[in-house]
Amino acid sequence: MNPKLYASIAVIITGLVLLYGISDFPTFGDPRSPANSGVEGGAPSTSLYYINESYGATKVPNLVTSVLADYRGYDTMFETVVVFAAGMAIFAILRCFGRDDEAVITAPTKSSIDGDHNRIIVGTTCRLAVPVVQIFALYVVAHGHHSPGGGFQGGVMLGASFILIALAGNLNDALGRFSERSYMTLASLGIIIYAGFGVLPQVLGKNFLDFGVLEKFFLTDGPEMARSHSMLGVEIGVALTVMSIMFAIFANLSSRGTLKGGL
Amino acid sequence: MLEQLPALILLAPLFGALLIGLVGLHDRRACFPIAFASLVVSLASALGAAMRAFTGGAYNYFIGGWEEPLGISIVLRVDALNGLLLIAIAVVAVLAVIFTIRPSSEKDTDKTAYFYILFLLLCVGLFGITITGDAFNLFVLIEVSALTSYGLVAIGTSRRCKMAAFHYLLMGTVGASFYLLGVGYLYLKTGSLNIEDINTILTTNATVAQSPGIVTAFLLILVGIWIKMAFFPLYGWLPNAYSYCPSGSSCLLAPLMTKVSVYVMIRVMLSLFGLEWVFGHPGWSDLVVWLAVIAILAGSIMALAQREIKRMLCYLIVAEIGYMVGGAWLNDPNLWGLTGASYHILADALMTLCLFLFAGILFKYHGISEIGDLGGLFKKMPLTSIGFVIGALAMIGVPPTSGFFSKFYLIRGGIEGGHPEYVGALLISSLVNAVLFFRIFEIAYFGKNPADGHSHDHGHDSHGHDDHGEAASPVLREAPTYALIPLLAAAALILLLGIFNGQIIELIRTAFGNSAIVVSNLR
Repeated sequence: MNPKLYASIAVIITGLVLLYGISDFPTFGDPRSPANSGVEGGAPSTSLYYINESYGATKVPNLVTSVLADYRGYDTMFETVVVFAAGMAIFAILRCFGRDDEAVITAPTKSSIDGDHNRIIVGTTCRLAVPVVQIFALYVVAHGHHSPGGGFQGGVMLGASFILIALAGNLNDALGRFSERSYMTLASLGIIIYAGFGVLPQVLGKNFLDFGVLEKFFLTDGPEMARSHSMLGVEIGVALTVMSIMFAIFANLSSRGTLKGGL
Repeated sequence: MLEQLPALILLAPLFGALLIGLVGLHDRRACFPIAFASLVVSLASALGAAMRAFTGGAYNYFIGGWEEPLGISIVLRVDALNGLLLIAIAVVAVLAVIFTIRPSSEKDTDKTAYFYILFLLLCVGLFGITITGDAFNLFVLIEVSALTSYGLVAIGTSRRCKMAAFHYLLMGTVGASFYLLGVGYLYLKTGSLNIEDINTILTTNATVAQSPGIVTAFLLILVGIWIKMAFFPLYGWLPNAYSYCPSGSSCLLAPLMTKVSVYVMIRVMLSLFGLEWVFGHPGWSDLVVWLAVIAILAGSIMALAQREIKRMLCYLIVAEIGYMVGGAWLNDPNLWGLTGASYHILADALMTLCLFLFAGILFKYHGISEIGDLGGLFKKMPLTSIGFVIGALAMIGVPPTSGFFSKFYLIRGGIEGGHPEYVGALLISSLVNAVLFFRIFEIAYFGKNPADGHSHDHGHDSHGHDDHGEAASPVLREAPTYALIPLLAAAALILLLGIFNGQIIELIRTAFGNSAIVVSNLR
């Protein structure tokens, strides 16, 4: 039989199950929905706890950041590991340390973009844009406590700034600034920073990621500020990993794993 | 320090992977020692953490130190059931990593560092799935383990393993998405992600528990996990992915990925929704047991049709998944089915490891992948054969191997739960396994020379080639020590698990808590 028929049947059944589930949704924006205030007659939900308590406990005004980087920091660490693992899987598939002759055959060295074009306009614009992009990215990383932002977003922007260099000039320019050795080191280092912030409290006799105990290191008054500062630390770790992996995936994809030529 | 053991189980391989990321690319010789050392640390911590749960009962480890109220942070929870599985994962990982040592003659590939990074991160994911007490965190770690396993399948050099990995990626992503969607529905109805917390809400609040949203959540989660574990109609990705991937990867993937998914299903039924809720829906149990019966029979029959050892083992995994899903859903009054399924997770992890190591040795050192080429094996490779025979007997279910006892408990559950079709399927499948493996024994024992390895049917036919197979026979030699150690250790553990089944069953049943009558004098 036609495989599309099976697929359609599966899609229809899934759709019906989802519609059945939708019949039970709370109204949009309902303040008394279980996710907002907890099950009726039960304990208040965790989101209510975050809204009421998280500022007092962490001194971070943006409660998305405090939930992400502290209460559920363990998840966020593994999300960073997911990014790292995705990068490693892509390198494992693509990266070829082939001898030069093989590399030349497969890599798209000469493309219509590359060549004798006068690239003054593109080159100058990008040279001007890259520092601005990077400074804004650093701002986004550092300002995650107060406004939307944080390590993932800032890291993506940093990675994009290097990709911009590669697009405007060529891959070798970008690799000259950010070599394979440095992106592997920084990608690993990012998670080491994150997990290191988790292990440090363990050394001091507390649980993994219990930032409050780090107040001695930060010379702050009280565990709340220590949590706040540690969150900045882990965001920096996330940004390093995301930046490196972003650029590395681009470099590997665009040069078919040879890291030579490319777009 | 001892309180930190639950976190240490996954931190050790995580830091191992990162360390390889820092130094491994420059010095490939550093990769294996780092990987081995970090997995040994995990094994030690898993033993310590599990021992505490065996003696003192289940306990929580609060990440970030947020204890009150439950569910604002992520909890690691160790009880007897996942304690045993943690040990099993660590043991399998240590044995599999020993198998990945390359012989000095073999050309070192440039991808060694990536291989070990993915290998360790996969272990991190599996440990994390097993130990976590949080429904969403489970998803994050499913992602970690899934991404790394796609990489481990695709790292092979052949084209078809890349295709297999792609297929695996599509199916795996659908499975993980279904799980995530289910968790979303759960959060919508309960406002919590902590497994214990959700369970309390569902048991105390009947209106929530019976609402369509919760039922949808359960169905989505269940189907998602079924895709991940390759339950029968959803198994399509498994045979190619596990048979075409490099031997080193398959020795870790095949024993653990599907088994950990089965554990997740049991955890979801037992701790998240609760058995009363799951079996409170009339008809579900019967339906799933019938699906499992089809899975068992289909897996066995397809295994019978295979010529390659690894592919045959892959279809046997499909059948074994049927055993475990069926056992968990038997709904017999004393929960023998669930007990048997939980015990079989451990037993099957070890015997799959054993058989995949055997297949890996043959393929890696002799280039043999077809059953017909095994002639003269027992004489030339006696130690390898011992390991293989024990693994095969466990698969068939011969006492005192662990395979016998898991089938014993599963069949007991099937009889007490009133599911003769399940019992019948188990017996037929055991018979098929006997046919499959005795066919291999026959070839390996009586077949004097390996046949030239293509274009003829399996089994009896290979004898016909004896007279002229001499010239083409590959040289069979005993495998090197570092390949034999994991194989024989796995075989020994299969026997130990079988011999000490009484104690292990008791431990498993303590994890079922109030819903099970702990019967200790059953040996």
